[in-house]
Amino acid sequence: MIRTLWYVERDLRRWLRGRINLLSALIMPAAWLIFVGMALPIRFTDNYLDFITPGILVLTMLGAALQGGSLLMFDKILGFLQKFLAMPAPRESILYGKILFITLRGMIQTTVILVFAIILGAQFLDPILLAQIYVILFIFGVLLSSITTTVALTLEDHDTYAAFNAMIAMPLFFTSSALMPYDQMPAWLAFLARLNPVSYAIDAIRDLQAGILPVMTLAGLLIGASIVLLISVIIFRRATV
Amino acid sequence: MTAIETFGLTKRFGSLTAVDDLTTTIDGEIFGLLGPNGSGKTTTVKMLTTLLTPTAGDAHICGYSIREHPRDVREHISYVPQDMAVDPKLTGRENVVFFGKLYGIPRPREAADEALVRMGLMERADDLVRTYSGGMRRRLELAQALVHDPSVLFLDEPTIGLDVAGRRRIWEHIIGLKERGMTVFVTTHYMDEADHACDRVGIIDRGKVIVTETPETLKASVCRDIVLIRSDDRFSGKFPEGVTFLGRAGDELRFEVQDGDEAGVVLSRLFAENGMNIRSISVRKPTLDDVFLSLVGEQDEQTAFDFTRFRTMLRRR
Repeated sequence: MIRTLWYVERDLRRWLRGRINLLSALIMPAAWLIFVGMALPIRFTDNYLDFITPGILVLTMLGAALQGGSLLMFDKILGFLQKFLAMPAPRESILYGKILFITLRGMIQTTVILVFAIILGAQFLDPILLAQIYVILFIFGVLLSSITTTVALTLEDHDTYAAFNAMIAMPLFFTSSALMPYDQMPAWLAFLARLNPVSYAIDAIRDLQAGILPVMTLAGLLIGASIVLLISVIIFRRATV
Repeated sequence: MTAIETFGLTKRFGSLTAVDDLTTTIDGEIFGLLGPNGSGKTTTVKMLTTLLTPTAGDAHICGYSIREHPRDVREHISYVPQDMAVDPKLTGRENVVFFGKLYGIPRPREAADEALVRMGLMERADDLVRTYSGGMRRRLELAQALVHDPSVLFLDEPTIGLDVAGRRRIWEHIIGLKERGMTVFVTTHYMDEADHACDRVGIIDRGKVIVTETPETLKASVCRDIVLIRSDDRFSGKFPEGVTFLGRAGDELRFEVQDGDEAGVVLSRLFAENGMNIRSISVRKPTLDDVFLSLVGEQDEQTAFDFTRFRTMLRRR
């Protein structure tokens, strides 16, 4: 278990030393919050910022997971993975370390969003609410980063992964409930949005804002994350033995 | 405990036999595996380092089977692959401490310092690896590999892409490690380096290890020394015992002898006594290159680069 943390430490150090990476990771979500959250002419609510913040939080986690998916693939391409595999540490800890790092990085970015949102006037100050939001974001992060890491590992090629990335990022975001509630959507979009796993995470956070504990959604996310993680481990084992 | 023992180790990728029935014992020495591209060198190393499962046969590293106890094998070895992989955004020390922690050794910092000192990197230990030269990066990889004090070290093309000084330094370190009792298994393309550093070499071609011997024995087996003497005059006497006259090309006389240095002196003295005017004498001793070419031949890569096969092989790594 401790080995997983050493892998996380390595990635964290590398990330923190890349100044541009760090800056971009922190500024991008803030830009979303300001340009989408404060500029769109919205009529269905008085406080669109409160409404959009959960969407941006989840979007940030999605972006972090897509960006981080290529990390393990690069470790493989550059020869690090071979070295790690020839070490006595359990091989799965390499995969767990990556998933944990990507999720933690996403959570650092979402913290920046939360701080911005609170400064701009969103109501997220209840510590219990914040803790619950973090739990949801963590589970969602594990789910997504398992998927992206595994997809990248299977594709084995950075360009192809970038194409995959571009192909799924925007549709996943726009067909979710991030920008508007279901009753404001055209019927076909509402149908897609209800299928979209990104919506589950957003809806769960909105329920929490409204004081409801979203047990079903939470359970769904948890089960989904476990299944995906299991599949990732199987594919990782197959790719490395 | 014997460092490396293999029993009929075999690896097939589909119809391609990458390593064919390898049985050998390696202990307390620097063993060099030589062979042309695609002959199975890397596949052998990958099996011995538990990165690939053999199709048939087995190998024991320090007494542990690579099939039955791969984790115990990994406790006792270090593997430095061909492509240099160190984190340029971390310092040298951080790179080594990271490995120490992954190996789960009790005092990773102290062990890292010791390894860095041994590789002569202590002065630059806190600089980012980005600023390191190729040779320094390779030594840093060795420091990483030594941090848990392995019994067997596997090096895949350790000097590839380094300048002359860098190569010499790497080999000095490798020889130093052997002297401290470590077994080193190394693959290389550079025959002169293998000749200079390896206690024994194995020559592998199309998956088969053709021969395993000391470089000296191998060189002696190929051909004797060649002495070349240039002179305008003709020689009509009798050549001494043990000297075979190979022929004359222009003004150049060629002889095959057992010891080129001694025979050169004897021949030149004989010619001088016969009143011949000698312009130059040169002795050519067989090198591992000659051994290699006589055993493996000068094969061009016969088939076009098979990309699908290459991909399958990469995938299975």
